[in-house]
Amino acid sequence: MMMFKSAANGNRIASLGALAPAGVVATVVYVLFIGLPIMALLVRAGQQEGFLAGLTGPLVLQALRLTVITSVISLAVVVVIGTPFALLLARRGPTSRLLRVIDTFVELPIVLPPVVAGVAMLMAFGRNGLLGPALASVGISLPFTTVAVVFAQIFVAAPFYIRAARIGFAGVDPAYEEVSQTLGVSPWQTFWRLTLPMSRPSLLTGATLAWARAVSEFGATIMFAGNLTGRTQTMPLAIMTTMESSLGAALALAALMLAMSALALALLSVLVRRRAESSP
Amino acid sequence: MSKPAAGGSFSASIGGFRISLDFSVDAGQVLVLFGSSGAGKTTALRTIAGLARPESGRIEIAGRTVFADEAGEPPAWVPPHLRRVGYVTQQNHLFPHLTLSQNIAYGLPERRGDSARQRVSHLVRRLQLEGLEDRRVSQLSGGQQQRTALARALAPSPDLLLLDEPFSSLDMELRRTLGAELRSAIRELNIPVIMVTHSREEALALGDTVQIIDAGRTVAQGPPLSVLEQPGQGQVARLVGVENLLNMRIPARLPQDGTMVCEAGERSLETPLADGYAVGDTVTVGIRASDIILATGPLPQSSARNTWSGVVSAVDLRPPGYEVALDCAGTLLRCHITGASLEAMNISSGQPLWAIFKASSCFLLSE
Repeated sequence: MMMFKSAANGNRIASLGALAPAGVVATVVYVLFIGLPIMALLVRAGQQEGFLAGLTGPLVLQALRLTVITSVISLAVVVVIGTPFALLLARRGPTSRLLRVIDTFVELPIVLPPVVAGVAMLMAFGRNGLLGPALASVGISLPFTTVAVVFAQIFVAAPFYIRAARIGFAGVDPAYEEVSQTLGVSPWQTFWRLTLPMSRPSLLTGATLAWARAVSEFGATIMFAGNLTGRTQTMPLAIMTTMESSLGAALALAALMLAMSALALALLSVLVRRRAESSP
Repeated sequence: MSKPAAGGSFSASIGGFRISLDFSVDAGQVLVLFGSSGAGKTTALRTIAGLARPESGRIEIAGRTVFADEAGEPPAWVPPHLRRVGYVTQQNHLFPHLTLSQNIAYGLPERRGDSARQRVSHLVRRLQLEGLEDRRVSQLSGGQQQRTALARALAPSPDLLLLDEPFSSLDMELRRTLGAELRSAIRELNIPVIMVTHSREEALALGDTVQIIDAGRTVAQGPPLSVLEQPGQGQVARLVGVENLLNMRIPARLPQDGTMVCEAGERSLETPLADGYAVGDTVTVGIRASDIILATGPLPQSSARNTWSGVVSAVDLRPPGYEVALDCAGTLLRCHITGASLEAMNISSGQPLWAIFKASSCFLLSE
């Protein structure tokens, strides 16, 4: 018993021990590579004249407001559409060839360059796109609107949530759901009271990743929604725009986004860990 | 005799496997579906619970038709959550994100109300789970998990209780105590119970009726003692694991003693006299290993009709005791004895021993 324990604690001296120095070097290189730019950003932001002014300036606040609103709406749509879809993939996917094919393509937006996604959305919903005339006939024009921002975010972010949710749901043995129903609990209630809580860590992870991806969305947005202050200029677009005119505002935006990302990551780890502790 | 509290017959084909079952069980009674793994017992339970849909037939629970698909009447289907059937699976499937008491309360309509709290504490007391109410499932022992699963299934007062190998994950001692608890709980609840098992001991201890299932069909049914201990068919004897199946010939009938003589090689024995067998016929005689007494010498005088001498050829652990294989002039006889007897008699390979068994312990099997 003790032997197993110490082995598990990493005391296997003979196991590839010669490679340990390479691992240490690689770790140092990597941490510096990621950490240095982040440090530089924070240090530079602190020194930059006009940083505080930029932080509370109308341009930054507008971009922040737009980003928060659009990303929250996008996440809501992704969760509402993605949850039943992921459940179907998890439960019926193994026996349905069609669903297996669909499953493969769910992740396409992750590997697709966002700019391509933007062009594709223009071709579908643009003035001269596939659905453009039909939309125009009922007085709807999507490109270069806030709705287009949401469309672009959903397009690129949804796969992160759907993939995590599918894995989470697949991890819940359907036998639990069957037992729940024999206890007099309807399928719908079973989903809320059993399937959802049991797959909560995966769903939270997926939602966090999807939200972060929506917040950082750039390529598809600029192609499909443009770069209009207050309407379609989200924070990443605003950073690019202000880099030329006001470095202070750009750094303020960048520092703000960094803080949001770190916060999301910290929140996720707290939520998932608390769940994991309460249901081991 | 009142109407059975649950019963029906159905045919189902699930995953290329066919099963036909005709069953009926009264309130307070336990119907055991007995068979080896893969015989279709679990499929039968799932079908009754509404988790699998049969192709044809009819299932009734507490006077309600929960499934019907028969010629000349409209089909009926009640989904599992409206069937009022408690189902305890082999792996329990306790919900890992809930505590013990939350698991028990799960199926109660108002699980945070006073009546729910009373119901849970009653079941906790009834199944001796006091002090564990706030434990997570993973912090419970196998026996505690088993009892929690039973309490959870009983909480909504089901009309029928289904148990799938309820003791498979427990050790021998726990099986005994839980078996006794379960039996008294069932009597008290007065609901019909269908239990699936491949253990003869469990079937004997808990069953009021046994149905032997093989390849999706019932091959025998009746009271556990007659079906499991002295089955009439060779197929059933093999399924329930009768240890000694001897191919013999009948040289004589003894109507005055109420017995028949059967012989194999140099050895002969007496069985109860049975109609339909004539002198010269060949028969299969079944003897349970636990019905044989071993002795270090022939008994001076006893009522047992059969005494065979032999030499111990092997001793194997067969919980809760030992199985001694006795070579009786070429015919192998398997006998069960306790560890204490093994020690007291100091049995070892090559030792000469006497096997003593009553004529009524020998039963004839038809193919």
